[in-house]
Amino acid sequence: MQNKNEFIRVVQENEGLIYKVAKLYTDSREDEQDLYQEIIYQLWKSFDGFRNESKISTWMYRIALNTSIVHLNRERRKGKYVPIDEMPAPPSDNGNTLKAERIEALYAHIKNLNTVEKGIVLLYLEGKSYEEIAGITGFSVSNVGTRLGRIKQKLSSQIKK
Amino acid sequence: MKLEEMKIAWEEMSADIGRQKKITDSLIIKMTQINYRNKTLKIAVPETIGSFGCMAMALYIAIHFQELHTWYLQGCGLITLITLVLLPIISFRSIYVITAVQVEGNKYKESLLQYANGKKKFVALQKMNFYLGAILLVVILPVTGQLIGGKDVFKQHWIWLWFSTSFIFFYILAGRIFRKYVNIITEAQTILRELEE
Repeated sequence: MQNKNEFIRVVQENEGLIYKVAKLYTDSREDEQDLYQEIIYQLWKSFDGFRNESKISTWMYRIALNTSIVHLNRERRKGKYVPIDEMPAPPSDNGNTLKAERIEALYAHIKNLNTVEKGIVLLYLEGKSYEEIAGITGFSVSNVGTRLGRIKQKLSSQIKK
Repeated sequence: MKLEEMKIAWEEMSADIGRQKKITDSLIIKMTQINYRNKTLKIAVPETIGSFGCMAMALYIAIHFQELHTWYLQGCGLITLITLVLLPIISFRSIYVITAVQVEGNKYKESLLQYANGKKKFVALQKMNFYLGAILLVVILPVTGQLIGGKDVFKQHWIWLWFSTSFIFFYILAGRIFRKYVNIITEAQTILRELEE
């Protein structure tokens, strides 16, 4: 790859994005690390095809979310990845138990949503506008609004339970 | 936790993550290389080995087909041949449909559609393979009995015991496997329904 250094820079700058997506679509640490690496691999594979027609983060969200969908099938044929002990610790493990618990609760709420909603809420929490969410997901802007309204209702009913 | 509260917590978490950059250049390269070797060398290994087995068996039967003297043995031989050719084709096709989601270029909605439809096709193909496997279990014995053992097993009394045992075995297996398939189909239909909402 001609742009190896550029790719490394892009991954390092958006490491958090990859981590957050990987954590959202998996239920165990091992699985999370597998998906994290798979996203990096898919980004690397597609990097030469990135044409600057969209923002780099938009392109990364698309690849990361699509890879997560493919990964839903992965239990059948697990790949060979970098061993877990060579991987960096998750950014939430910084010794602050209260904060870590809060993050876990946050993820638990999102994981209760369905697959479609998970992707939309992730982009919303990442600060994306309705237009950007529509651009990444393929839903119309009004549909994104409707779905976010439903997500709010669902989250409220989760609290009442 | 309300969505607005979640957003605040998410922003805090994102800021923490941003401060803790940990992934190194060498680790990024290692991840891509390990995965690349994995993808190119380890795709569908069990299916490939199984396919070679099926093809070798099919070739053996085809070469010795003239040794099947009676119409019923020839019938069994023909069905065995067809089944042995179809099984690997269906296996590879089912791998294709389950991995056909395009990571590059697709939007989230399109990928989910591909994923859910792929699951439904996968189940249909796996069911087909299961039935073919059941047929093969019945027809391969008379063929190999004649070609390897030199005996017409239809003239042996135990053949009916073999057939009835096979039937019970497959009946139990079908119950277990098809329950799993129902779950896969339900998951696929749920995603399709969510997309239509």
